[in-house]
Amino acid sequence: MKVDEFEFFLEKDWSDGFPVVTPTEERVQRMLNGTRRDPDEFVGNVPPAMGPATVRAVAIHAVMAGCKPEHLPVILGAIALMLRKEFNLNGVQGTMHGVAPLMIVNGPYAKHIGIHGGNGCFGPGFRANATIGRAIRLLLLNLGGGIAGVGSATVFSSPLRYTACLTENVDHSPWETLAESRGYAPDDNVITCAMVESPRLCYDDVSEEPERLLTGIADSMHAMSSFNIHMPNSDMVVAISPEPAGICARAGMSRADVHRRLCELAGRRMGDLKRGGNWRRTRALKCGYDPDDDDFFVPAIKDPRYLHLIVAGGYGPLCAVCHGWGGGSFAVHGRYDV
Amino acid sequence: MVKDLGFIDPTYRGGKARIAMAPRPVDLAGKVIGMIDNTKEQADVILKTIADALVERYGAARVVIRAKEHYTKPATDELIDEMAQEVQLAVAALGG
Repeated sequence: MKVDEFEFFLEKDWSDGFPVVTPTEERVQRMLNGTRRDPDEFVGNVPPAMGPATVRAVAIHAVMAGCKPEHLPVILGAIALMLRKEFNLNGVQGTMHGVAPLMIVNGPYAKHIGIHGGNGCFGPGFRANATIGRAIRLLLLNLGGGIAGVGSATVFSSPLRYTACLTENVDHSPWETLAESRGYAPDDNVITCAMVESPRLCYDDVSEEPERLLTGIADSMHAMSSFNIHMPNSDMVVAISPEPAGICARAGMSRADVHRRLCELAGRRMGDLKRGGNWRRTRALKCGYDPDDDDFFVPAIKDPRYLHLIVAGGYGPLCAVCHGWGGGSFAVHGRYDV
Repeated sequence: MVKDLGFIDPTYRGGKARIAMAPRPVDLAGKVIGMIDNTKEQADVILKTIADALVERYGAARVVIRAKEHYTKPATDELIDEMAQEVQLAVAALGG
């Protein structure tokens, strides 16, 4: 009897629930043309199952996800970053929470291979974004065993766990990129990975000056039930679209100015936090705060390095806020070879 | 390859050897019991309460409680080895 290859991969739990491109030897060889690296080169073990990611294993998953060979260097670069100890992939794979490793890809290669940072960049319709992020997820499932109800205790998971990859809208940004703000050169190809939730959209077609605009965005950054407001370290990604970024830039604000002001505005009084959500005395103490000081301003961003500000999306009065995880993951960034 | 179907098995190979379960103890009398505190809030309170009950009600000789570095990280080999040396029965325990 002829085997239906698409059904076969779904029945084996080797996919994310969607059909995959069947990894044949021929297709994997073609994918490996996307890198000069040795197929047997060991990249690392993917927790918690600790399945070994070799260049070839990564290429197999890139095929399954629907990638082109030129996408492979980004996936190889990203998975190596995600396996860094400080990123704590093990914890995120097992957590009850539902964050995903969002990849922000900066530099000329992102543009060359069509990673999208404009209209609809968090959503469907862009092959590079969709398949690069999906390849990462398939690796986390198949090699890492991060399967809901098996290796993962996630309660809801998140749509961002299907794919999570984008770039910045460099053509319409008034500022340097996230990578450049960290000292990388414009020609460097850089990936930043941060463990975050799906974006929460902030609509503001009223504000015409930065202070009011940023106050509105900050309101989405300090929710009572978020990890950011209660934990000593939790990353957050804020994507400002070109229109509100332009409002700030025209008022003379640099990227660093906006970053700093958001850190200052996002937060709420200790007494207010006690009214609901996951406030606990012990959590306040772990952050070094006096739990009895009800007037103390608790910042959502405990260290400026935890806020990753990007300019992305299309034209319109929206921003996107992605809250972080509270289990001890620090965002990672680095160059990758193309 | 998956048999002769022409597909590649994307899952990792090796490392899937079955490990036999340790024999289950019949009772706890006179035994040294280990508990691994996962470091979540109040895990220490919960485990201490259980430890006292195991000694008082079930005659355990004593209870050894050790903490992991962080609840999102696995116990280190050193911690597991230390437990294996010192206790006859170990419980990976949660707080929350």
